[in-house]
Amino acid sequence: MKARKRVITSGGKAKRSPTVRKIKPAWVGPVARTERPRSTAARPEAATPAAPRADPVAGLRAPDAAADLASGGAAATLAATEPAARPGAGTVDLAVDLGRGLVLENPVLVASGTFGYGVEYGEVVDVQRIGAICCKGTTLRPRVGNQPPRVTETPAGMLNSIGLQNPGVDAVIERYAAIWAGWQVPVIVNVAGESIEDYVGVVRKLDGVPGVAGVELNISCPNVGKGGLQFAIDRDAASAVTRAVRAATDLPLIVKLSPNVSDVRPIARAIADAGADALSAVNTLSGMALRPDRSGPLLGNVYGGLSGPAIKPVALRIVYEVAQVVDIPIIAIGGVAGIDDVLDYLAAGAVAVQVGTAVFADPVLPVRLVDELRAVCAARGLDSYGPLVGTALPRRPVPPSAKGVEYRP
Amino acid sequence: MFLSDAELIEARRILPRQWIQWYHAPALASAVRAGQFVHVRTGDWSGLVLRRPFTVNTADPATGIVSIHFREVGRGTAWLAHMRAGDRLDVLGPLGQGFQVDPRNRHLLLIAGGVGIADLRLLADEAIHDGRQVVLLYGARDASEVYPSSLLPDELEYVVATEDGSVGHRGLVTDLVTEYEAWADQAFACGPVPMLRVLAGIAAGRTKRLGVATLGRKRGGGKPVPMGSPQARRKAFLQVSMEQRMGCAVGACLGCVVWGVDGPQRVCREGPVFASEEIDWEATVGTARPAAPSDRRTAPRTRRAAPAGRAGR
Ligand SMILES: Cc1cc2nc3c(=O)[nH]c(=O)nc-3n(C[C@H](O)[C@H](O)[C@H](O)COP(=O)(O)OP(=O)(O)OC[C@H]3O[C@@H](n4cnc5c(N)ncnc54)[C@H](O)[C@@H]3O)c2cc1C
Ligand SMILES: Cc1cc2nc3c(=O)[nH]c(=O)nc-3n(C[C@H](O)[C@H](O)[C@H](O)COP(=O)(O)O)c2cc1C
Ligand code: FES
Repeated sequence: MKARKRVITSGGKAKRSPTVRKIKPAWVGPVARTERPRSTAARPEAATPAAPRADPVAGLRAPDAAADLASGGAAATLAATEPAARPGAGTVDLAVDLGRGLVLENPVLVASGTFGYGVEYGEVVDVQRIGAICCKGTTLRPRVGNQPPRVTETPAGMLNSIGLQNPGVDAVIERYAAIWAGWQVPVIVNVAGESIEDYVGVVRKLDGVPGVAGVELNISCPNVGKGGLQFAIDRDAASAVTRAVRAATDLPLIVKLSPNVSDVRPIARAIADAGADALSAVNTLSGMALRPDRSGPLLGNVYGGLSGPAIKPVALRIVYEVAQVVDIPIIAIGGVAGIDDVLDYLAAGAVAVQVGTAVFADPVLPVRLVDELRAVCAARGLDSYGPLVGTALPRRPVPPSAKGVEYRP
Repeated sequence: MFLSDAELIEARRILPRQWIQWYHAPALASAVRAGQFVHVRTGDWSGLVLRRPFTVNTADPATGIVSIHFREVGRGTAWLAHMRAGDRLDVLGPLGQGFQVDPRNRHLLLIAGGVGIADLRLLADEAIHDGRQVVLLYGARDASEVYPSSLLPDELEYVVATEDGSVGHRGLVTDLVTEYEAWADQAFACGPVPMLRVLAGIAAGRTKRLGVATLGRKRGGGKPVPMGSPQARRKAFLQVSMEQRMGCAVGACLGCVVWGVDGPQRVCREGPVFASEEIDWEATVGTARPAAPSDRRTAPRTRRAAPAGRAGR
């Protein structure tokens, strides 16, 4: 049994948290049926696939998890009231709790910007079967976006430079909130801005709107020069915007990390400490393509964000690094195109995944992944996917990639 | 819009690097309207992550056969060209807004540049079926690229222009338009953006040149119709079919916009067919040469004033 340790990431100045809270079940095999903490209002920070979190079977836990159990007395109470059921006997429960009561039926979300507002695919996709929908980046005022061309295919991926075209938060609420409110699937509004006031302004408007299940802060969109980049690459700015939004709303708050930084860990820590309920990682990598005649950049905005299978190793590395330093849930994003990608991200410490670019080629992929994940669990005799989470994490924290990949002292 | 599992019935190379493929896709054949397109998924082993958009070239609801006509220009179209009879293709569609023909119009002028004829082919079939007269003006570089007349319906008048004069008129297809503009009630075009822009200019000056605008009954009873609506497009003299690089093709990603006079327009949703006056041609031609990255919130309308392409270097 392994447990995660916090890592000092910046010259000893970073705050150390004495407790290691995240429990990572390393066994694979029959476990006792556990109750999902559906109401987490009392301890909103407690969130991860519900089952391992609240695993009441102390005997199966690692010794260093015992401390955690002490703080999680609720789990023990639940265990007492919930009779143990046989694994594999019932259906597999894929529910996941992302914090603050944002409980998804399953851990497969669709990524912001690739699924519009959930209505565009119409009959083609049964949206109700998706874990959650992250809508297109929403700003305080309408934005017309960047010059075309805005997308192009690249090796094993694509570049986009949409420039956060959106009708503004008021229009988004007016046009879509009522539709979302009638849906079973939670809709998480992706929020972007150019200043802390922008973010807070958007979130204030979303607060309390029926149909809005949570917010995801895009502090890392590489498309808009001023817009996102500043927050995501600067620990203090990232922390400040998270704190400001946290103070403005009780909505479940996810903050989306940018991969375009040398060391993501201090930023992730700062965001977690500032009160985010969950992290999503990652947004697109900054890149570019040339026109076929090489007379200049292809995209109207020159630079674009790289996504798709090409970025999966980068995203996997970031999830793995971040999972070692934060104890809030991580939603992995980047090149998910099949069940193996989902299992990889879970093993690296994520509790959920978002599917982005792959939706374009295969709109029904997210729904199929849900079925495939359920089948994987059933085949292994699991009644939740909790035991699949974090299995690849190291016993002891490993040095960050920022310290070099080839050369090691 | 739905997903079809289409079976390739027959593929024929009709011109150098140009193919027509006939697929069995009954639901699509019944649902598609002239000018709409499909988004085609290349196989997993192609290694490509995006679908490729193609206009439906012909559709026959009776047999359930649809065809696409494409030019091999890159990896996606090369993959497609390797399909063999019996192979299956994952097709999303029909997508976008098709051409709007005013039911009262008798004379339709179709103007195609190169493979742009694929977009107009179904329109020609439908118009002829409805008893309209159709003239097709077709432009190509030289004789080797001229669309075979055997593939066209007999009732259609086919006029060819080649840049080197090896067949038909020597010069550009746009040169031929003035000869037909008085005859035509409506015109429909597909081809390279510079060609469409010239046509848009011709269309804009047409009423003035012909001096017929205020004569006779005013179409639509003079009621203002919102730009981009089917009624407005029916009233426009020229409709154009635009192309843009696409992600989703269903309106979700905002990747496929062209610049309209009312701001960005999604080719996959508001288009691919637009009335020519909906498009901001200056900006659209300008985007062929992108400028420097911008953090301006409302960049594009002002951007065109700047000499394009310079700041990027
Ligand atoms: C609505 C619509 C209808 C179309 N109908 C036809 C048709 O009937 N026949 C035909 O031959 N072509 C048509 N095209 C163009 C066709 O989609 C491209 O030629 C094709 O996508 C090129 O793919 P590729 O991988 O071979 O080329 P590559 O250059 O390798 O493609 C790289 C990327 O750019 C995109 N791309 C490249 N050229 C274009 C283009 N002109 N338009 C849009 N995306 C492009 C590709 O989809 C791909 O994402 C249409 C385009 C649109 C938008
Ligand atoms: C066309 C497109 C638009 C996007 N728009 C947004 C956006 O508005 N906000 C955001 O946070 N991320 C946006 N993203 C990033 C995706 O949500 C996701 O983080 C990224 O694409 C990586 O996942 P993938 O490899 O599965 O696509 C966009 C991505 C694409 C391809
Ligand atoms: S291609 Fe996605 S909006 Fe048109």
